[in-house]
Amino acid sequence: MKDPLIRAWIGLVVLSALSTVLSVAVAHGALSGAMVSVGGALILTIGWVKARIILEQYLGLAQAPFWRRGFETVLAFYMLGLLGLYLGG
Amino acid sequence: MTEQSQSSSAETPSVLDELPGDLMMWVLIISELLVFGAGLGAFLGVRITDPEGFSAAQDHLFRAGAGLNTFVLVTSGFLAALASRAAHLGKVWRTRAMLLAAAMLGVVFLIIKGVEYAGKYAQGIGVETHPFFTFYYLLTGFHAAHVVFGILILGIVGYRCAPRTVEVGVAFWHMVDLVWVLLFPVIYLLR
Repeated sequence: MKDPLIRAWIGLVVLSALSTVLSVAVAHGALSGAMVSVGGALILTIGWVKARIILEQYLGLAQAPFWRRGFETVLAFYMLGLLGLYLGG
Repeated sequence: MTEQSQSSSAETPSVLDELPGDLMMWVLIISELLVFGAGLGAFLGVRITDPEGFSAAQDHLFRAGAGLNTFVLVTSGFLAALASRAAHLGKVWRTRAMLLAAAMLGVVFLIIKGVEYAGKYAQGIGVETHPFFTFYYLLTGFHAAHVVFGILILGIVGYRCAPRTVEVGVAFWHMVDLVWVLLFPVIYLLR
């Protein structure tokens, strides 16, 4: 488990399963009212974390701090934009 | 310029040197991310006009199947990353085996996607059924086309098998992976 690539893969699998289970639960009425939006925000947050893992570990930006900061800043603003559009719907 | 300053500027690493892989591949990756990013933004923008209709349309999608496809693609990306590592260690056959496994999982992804499209076709769901499906077919279809190209690229870099070439090809595959982890929650999961 010391290998960052293995940790990244496990993290991606667990987070993907988590977001799928959360979405199926929402679709089956496990959450209602404002909690549906909270669930959606959580799903988007999980997607954001997964994108960061791929950028840092798969694409190797963990070894390039300047570019990692740039990519992650743009990604964070983009995900905030998606969250705003989602909550506006 | 003095000899000393020439020597100093030659030794000072540029931030571009820090970037892993090839600069042009990153230009391609950023371009692709902008295209898909705009598409996903437009999808959520249009969703504001008809949230109930989008939710009803989304119920026709098989979320667990898309979740399985996510597992397939992130595992494929993991194998591709291992291939790049093996290439840098000079392990040619291990590199090729990992690239082949990554490409095969890409084929599995396309088969699952094909089954999904066939199911929609059987239900009479097309591009014009609802704006949700217009975006669905456009974005997932464009992504699937990238998976096809990615498989071809993995095959080519596996044939040549030079560390730098493998790194660049694998970076394209990770871009396909990255796009999917953003596309998957927005299209399939958000209610």
